[in-house]
Order: sequence, then structure tokens, then C-alpha cells
Amino acid sequence: MIPAETAPLLTLAGVSRSYGPLQALKAIDLAVTSGQCIALLGVNGSGKSTLLRIAAGRDTPTTGQVRYDGQVLREDALAARTEIAVVGDASSAYPDLTVREHLLIIAVAHGGGARSPDLADAALAECRLAEQAAALPGWLSSGQRQALALAAVLVRPRRLLILDEPEQRLDPTARRWLGELLAREKARGAALLLATHHVELAEAVADEAIVLLDGAVVGRGTPDQALAALR
Amino acid sequence: MMPTAAVIEVPDSTDATIGLLRGLRHGHVRKQAASVAYWLYLAGLTVLVYGGWLVAAIVRAIRRPQPPAADTAAVLRAVPAGLCALALLVIVVLLWEAGWRGPVTVSQPTADWLLDTPVRRARLLRPRYRVSILTRLLAGAATGLVPAAVLMSAGLGRGGTGRSLRLAGATMLGTALLAALGTGMAALAEARPGWRSWRAAKLIAGGAAAGAAVVAALAAVASLPSLVGSVLLWSGPWGWAAQAPVALSGGSAPLWPVALGLLALTSAVAVAAGDRAAAAVSASALRARARTIGSMSAAVANLDARRVTAAYRAMAGGYSRVRFMLGPPLRKELVIPWRDVVALARAPSRLAWAAAVSLAAAGLGALATQAPRSGLLPLAGALSLGYLAAAGFCEGARLDADDPRRSSQLPFRYDRLVWWHAIVPCLLLAVLGGIPAAALAAAAGKVRLVPLIAVAVLVLVSGALVNAYRGPLEAEALSYGFETPFGSTGSITVALWYITGPLLSVGPLIWLSYHAISASGRGAVIGPVVVSLVLAAWLGAIATRRARRLHAAGA
Repeated sequence: MIPAETAPLLTLAGVSRSYGPLQALKAIDLAVTSGQCIALLGVNGSGKSTLLRIAAGRDTPTTGQVRYDGQVLREDALAARTEIAVVGDASSAYPDLTVREHLLIIAVAHGGGARSPDLADAALAECRLAEQAAALPGWLSSGQRQALALAAVLVRPRRLLILDEPEQRLDPTARRWLGELLAREKARGAALLLATHHVELAEAVADEAIVLLDGAVVGRGTPDQALAALR
Repeated sequence: MMPTAAVIEVPDSTDATIGLLRGLRHGHVRKQAASVAYWLYLAGLTVLVYGGWLVAAIVRAIRRPQPPAADTAAVLRAVPAGLCALALLVIVVLLWEAGWRGPVTVSQPTADWLLDTPVRRARLLRPRYRVSILTRLLAGAATGLVPAAVLMSAGLGRGGTGRSLRLAGATMLGTALLAALGTGMAALAEARPGWRSWRAAKLIAGGAAAGAAVVAALAAVASLPSLVGSVLLWSGPWGWAAQAPVALSGGSAPLWPVALGLLALTSAVAVAAGDRAAAAVSASALRARARTIGSMSAAVANLDARRVTAAYRAMAGGYSRVRFMLGPPLRKELVIPWRDVVALARAPSRLAWAAAVSLAAAGLGALATQAPRSGLLPLAGALSLGYLAAAGFCEGARLDADDPRRSSQLPFRYDRLVWWHAIVPCLLLAVLGGIPAAALAAAAGKVRLVPLIAVAVLVLVSGALVNAYRGPLEAEALSYGFETPFGSTGSITVALWYITGPLLSVGPLIWLSYHAISASGRGAVIGPVVVSLVLAAWLGAIATRRARRLHAAGA
């Protein structure tokens, strides 16, 4: 029997996805354990985002199965909503609520209770958005909106982080900070599934890298080994 | 909050979250309420100013019902099937709406910020479903006014103001209950998006509505066995809804209170089932619908009909596509026709629709030539349908106009593409509409009309191309115009923007064709044919100018 701490938190077994005649993913196997980071690398259209959507339960695989903590993953299940944090495409925002108020809502919704204001303020400071706390989302730059999406992850509990190109729209300094943030998350026990075009980020954070091409795995191993396949 | 490797348990914070959101958005909600009140006021004012005569006619009909006329008996015979058709139509509309929008929707920010949290879905979604039920009950009741007015204006439901009011109340109650029933079913459909039975139900209900309309028409012209009416009235909720109005109109429906009770019970069950299902609508469905509504709202705000349709098609799955392959052409001149053929062949449902409309246009055209003096209405119908078919065949040009960059690598000037895009629509409209119309005209001994039919094809396609290349509406278009006691004429500018093509092609063609059909002798056609040819060339030039402007704007 596998000890609880080494048992995979998220498992994808033989997952494929077709859209009509287009096969976006071909029989992917993947397992992430707590405290581990797997990076997905590949050119645009290689299937990274499709794989992440399936891993988050937001899309249904054509074949294969996704299990989270031993159970078949359902996006609407309470466990998924409580424990899986997703940073994907830039999301919309309430036009009349400030940056801090957005974070407050997420913190309260996840049971933050009286600690919610402190959690929001800490996340604002961590993501260098303290000066924009009272700003409306419409006033933010695209990089600041991305930082807000990352801050929303920090005010809630999480066991698994699914990140689709989180480095997008961030400046070089912010990218370095992102690497440190993800390393801290990993060290604290979170499992990370990360799709990125930023090779340095994958090298800095990932324990394992998977290279996708046309929906199939063409390289796998340590980031260095996988990157060799990519090159 | 720290990430953790252990299972996370959080307290239920649903009430706290929704309370916080409500408190923070208090000002926004007030603004929204004010906006809704303003739009209601505008709608009321519009109804009063432009539809005041209709309201007055309904009030007059209730106070002093029309005496029975010669066709009152025919209308009474058609009432059971006619009301069933209307009731089925209400259900079809609600099931269709369930496929892309539905009664359970959230805004895009709510979809992005709250659906991933442990907030209880029931608490989030059920209030939205209940608001939908309420608004659709009201809309259903308002819809019921239409058949009530028709029945009263036909001299049915006489017996004083009280009886007229009861008839109006019965039709309004019937359609309101049907709307509630349809909304409940729509919520069930929304919660089970993969359930193919709902698509089948929509098709069956649509077919049944068409069938009931045919029965109503037959009943009006010839007396059908009373059993047919009875079967329809007891065939389901649509029939139950029709029974009270039938009885109050003087028809035979002695057990209408039972039928009304059955309808109320069925609607209540559907509403309750929908209430349960509302909480089970998946986050994916809610996200997709929120995205569609967001895109549609933006397109509506910009008065961009093309993008509204595109947003709907994206959600509804678009036209069914097939893998049609056609080898690329060897001559560069054939590139655009080849692209148009491939685009049409890969969306066969659009092609089939346009083909059916072409044939209907030919049929109506034949009707117009049979009775030249009273043929204006069928002629207008035929040419309007012909325009719709031409617009369907011009999809390739529309796609080009949507994004001029798509054709930037072609060895042609962008504005010249308009003429290449005319080839396939002209051929298709000629084969599917023109040749049948010419054959029917020849069979009726009107061979002289054949050249006119041929040039009408050119005019209709040119008109469709004018509209295809209209481009997006300018943001300040509504401000063009001047103020009148009835409001700004800016809305007329917008309407003209959308109808320039049909207005400039179908309008003159009706006039020219009517004169050609009415006059006798071969020479009577020559003038209209020449003028139509000039008209086609002029419309082509307008389309070319529009294409040039689009290209300049995109460059």
C-alpha cells in the first residue's frame, strides 16, 4: 500500500480528448503528488491547456480517467472547489468592486471568516498590489490583472494548483517573484501542475517536465532531459 | 492561507459570502434597478406612442366586442388547433432558449469568481431561476393578449365586458402557465445538457406546432370531424391551455375547468422539478452561457447583428459541418468561387435552408404571375425570400468582409473580390430559384418573363453583397439624425444601415416586376430588364465601394 503522503493527489490515466476529427490529446498518463511540480512544455496548440482543463475537471476526456485524491474528479464536487485552485485565462471581474474586495469575497467564501481582511491584505502585499488595493479592475494593467488572479489563489486553502501560463503578461522582475512563489507553495506541500512557455520557470520549479507535441508526449523526465527533447 | 497536503475542510460560508457581495454591490444593484426602471419606462412610452392604437383597439374590443361577421364561424372552427399551435410554439421557444441561455444564468464575473468556491450552488442559482419564472410568467401572460385580441376582433367571446375580460384572462392564464411549464422544462434541460431527448423534444414540439397550424387552416376552410378538435384539446398541456378560451369563445370544451386544473398541476410539478434541477446546473455550462450572454450583450450594445448571431452559433454548436474536400483550382481566378463552394458545402444545413427558401420564392413567384392584378403580395414575398436565399449563398463574401486580412495574400485587389464572390451565389440562385421560376412561368404561358427572372437573380445577389460588405456599425451611428417629438431619427439611420441591401434591391424589383407582369406584350418586359441590369451594376458598385472602405479601415 502506498503511504498517504506519497500517493498521487491527481492522476490522469490514458486521457485523450477529441474535438470532432481533431485529436487534441493522445493517451496521456500523469500523476502529481503533494509537494511535487510537473511542468507541461510545448508549442502553441500542443495540448497543454486542454490537458489542464481536463485536470481541473473543466472538460471531460474522450477516453481515460481523472482521479483526485482517489476519487473520480468532478469539477462541481465540493472537494474540488475547496482544494483545487486554478489560474487560467485572465478572468473577468466585477467592474464596481475594488481589487481588495475581490480578494475578500474569495477569502470569505473559502471559510476565512474574521481572518479574511488580513488574508486579503497579505495577498495584496505578496503580489505587490498593495497600492492598487482600492483600484477598480478596469484601472489595472494586464500584468496587474494577472497578479490579481494569483493573489486570489493565496487567500484560499489549496492542495493542488493548476496554472496555465501564469507568467503571461508579467515583467521579468515579476516572473522571478512568481518562481519564488511557486517554489514556496511546493515547499509547503501543494501539488503543482504548470503549463508554461518560460523555460527558466520550469527549470527553477519543476521536478518533472512533460513535453507535448500534437497532443502526444514526446519527452519526459527532469526539466533538463525534457527540454533536450523540446530542442 | 497555507497550502496543505492534508484534506481541507472549510465551514459553510455561503450566507456570509452572498451577504458580503450584496453589501459591497448595493450601489451597483440600485443603479441596475434604476436602469431597468428606465428601460421599462421607455418600453411603456414606445408602446403608448407607437402602439397606442393597438392598445385602444384591444380595450375597445373588450368593452364593445365586434358583432359576428361572415368569417366568425370559420375562426371558431380553427380556434382549438390554432391555440394549440400557439401553445406549442411557446414551448418550442423556451426549449430553444434552454439550449444556449436557459432560465439559470449567472453573470461572467460571478461565473469566474464564485463558481470555484465552496459556496452552495442552490443558494446561488435558485433565486435566479425564480426570477426567470416570474419574468416568464409575466411575458407569457402578455403573449396571451394576442390571441385574445384576435378572437374578440373576430366577433367571438361576445356577452358583455365581463365575458370579454374572462376570455382575455383565460388566454393570458393559459399562456402564463405554459410559460412556467416551459421554464421548468428548460431548467431540467439546462441541468442535463448532454441529454439528446431535449433536442428531440424541441423538434417534435416544432413539428407538432406546424401540424396544428395546418389543422387550424384546414378547419377554417372545411369542417373537420369534431373528434379532431377533441383529440387536440386533450393531447397535452398545449390542448389544456386552449380549452378555457375555446369554451369562452363559444366552442365546445365542457370540461375546461378540469383541463385548466391539469395544466396548473403540471406546471407546478415542472416548476418544482426545475427548482431542484437549477442547483445542479454544472459550472462548465454556467461559464459557457455567461460567456455567450456577455458576448451577445456587447454585440447588442454595439448594434452588431452579425456578432450576436456568431455568439449564438458558437454556443449552439454552429451549423453542422461535414468533411467536404474539393481539389484546389488550377487558375487563380477560380480561387474565390472555389472557397465559396467549399464554405457552403461544408455547412450543408445552411445550403439546404437557402435552397428551400429559393424554391419557396419560385413557388410564390408563380402564384404572382397567375393572378397579376392581385399578385403584389406574393410577388413581394417571392422577391424577399429570393433575397434571403441570396444572402444565405453569400456567406463566403460575409466571411471575407468580417476580416479583410483573410484575403490580404491573394493576388487581387480587395474590392474586386466582390465580383468574384458574386459567381457562386448567382449560379446557385439561378439553378435553385431562377430555373424553377422560369419553368413555372413558361408552363403558365409567360415565357416573356424569363429574362426578367434572370436579371432578378443578379439584382438580388448584388443587394445581398451590399449588405455583406456593410462592415461594423459606427459607434456614433445612433447620434446621427435629429430630434423629433417622437424621439431621435438616429434609430432610422441604424435601421437603414441594416436594410440598405434589401431596400435597394427588393424594393425596386417589386415595382419593376409588378409592372412587367401586369402589362401584356413582349415589349413590356424590355424596359424592366434593362433597368434591372443597371440596378444590379449600381448595387455591385456600392458593394465594391463598401469593400474598399472596409479594407482601408482594416489596413
